[in-house]
Amino acid sequence: MAKTIRDPRIRISRRIKKDKVFKVKVKFDHPSFTGLGIVDAETKPVFSRAIPVSFIRNMFVYYGDQLVSRFRMSSAIADDPLFTFKLKAIQEAPIKVVFVDNQGKKWEASKKIKFKN
Amino acid sequence: MVSQAVFAGTVEEEFKIEGLISPASPKALQSALLKKLAVKIIELRLKKTKTGWPVLRLQFDTETISREKIEKVIGEIEDPAGHKYKVHHGPLLANAPLLDEEQQAIAILGDTPEAFPIMKNPITDKAASANRGEKLFVNNCVKCHGFTGNGYGTVAHGFTTWPRQLWAWNNTGEETDGYLFWFITNGRSDMPPWGLILSENERWDLINYIKTLKNPGDE
Repeated sequence: MAKTIRDPRIRISRRIKKDKVFKVKVKFDHPSFTGLGIVDAETKPVFSRAIPVSFIRNMFVYYGDQLVSRFRMSSAIADDPLFTFKLKAIQEAPIKVVFVDNQGKKWEASKKIKFKN
Repeated sequence: MVSQAVFAGTVEEEFKIEGLISPASPKALQSALLKKLAVKIIELRLKKTKTGWPVLRLQFDTETISREKIEKVIGEIEDPAGHKYKVHHGPLLANAPLLDEEQQAIAILGDTPEAFPIMKNPITDKAASANRGEKLFVNNCVKCHGFTGNGYGTVAHGFTTWPRQLWAWNNTGEETDGYLFWFITNGRSDMPPWGLILSENERWDLINYIKTLKNPGDE
């Protein structure tokens, strides 16, 4: 589990051709936690609320100025998740992803798309 | 906060504790607290508390120790797992209000309902409907979900999410109808929204057929 939250990173293929589908990978080091933990009253372990719940609530994907996708998540999301999705290369414009967690904090990352012939 | 005077200067107070996440935590907290402060631990209740947070009930003399001092000391005690405890204040901030950006995005893309609509299957003749549904199933669903509904369709290997094992719906009650209808109509992951392709009655026929599929392993 990541103890600190790092800014998200985007990885894309170096060879993107116009009108072809390409893969985008987004890695975000975020310590998601359901807030529940097992505590032990001497002999009987019980499941109890342990620390405030923390998870990524939404991920938005922008291609150029256009919002193209929204990933909606719950507290079941893994620590340090890796998202992979596909986009169609219709224009040379930056891809931007925006993460919002359940406490309303926001993180962003972007990457430029350049076509190769 | 509950406060009850036992005699002049001595009070009993409750503290909600954050950070009890390992089996050794409760014992570690209590022993460290007794070493650092002259307090009496009445109880540390871990479950069935009002708020869900573990509650530590302490008796202490207000003339020598304040609540703030106790909170500070609790915040300095280290858990065996390597983090520090904290006294929880206020309600749990599980979900902050939506940001403007989120609201705009939801307005553009549409929201996913939290709860699926409760719907009643309008078809009364289930056997005839399941027969009609079988044809629709073979024509539309088999290539991904497989003939037996086990998810091993011929094209399924290329998907990011494995198609659902449909026999899991066998003999489920009417309460699952709305859920299935919503998923078939709107699609999910690699499954297209069949609401654009099949009529409403056809979708109900499919649901009636899906509910007759049995686990191939049972036979």
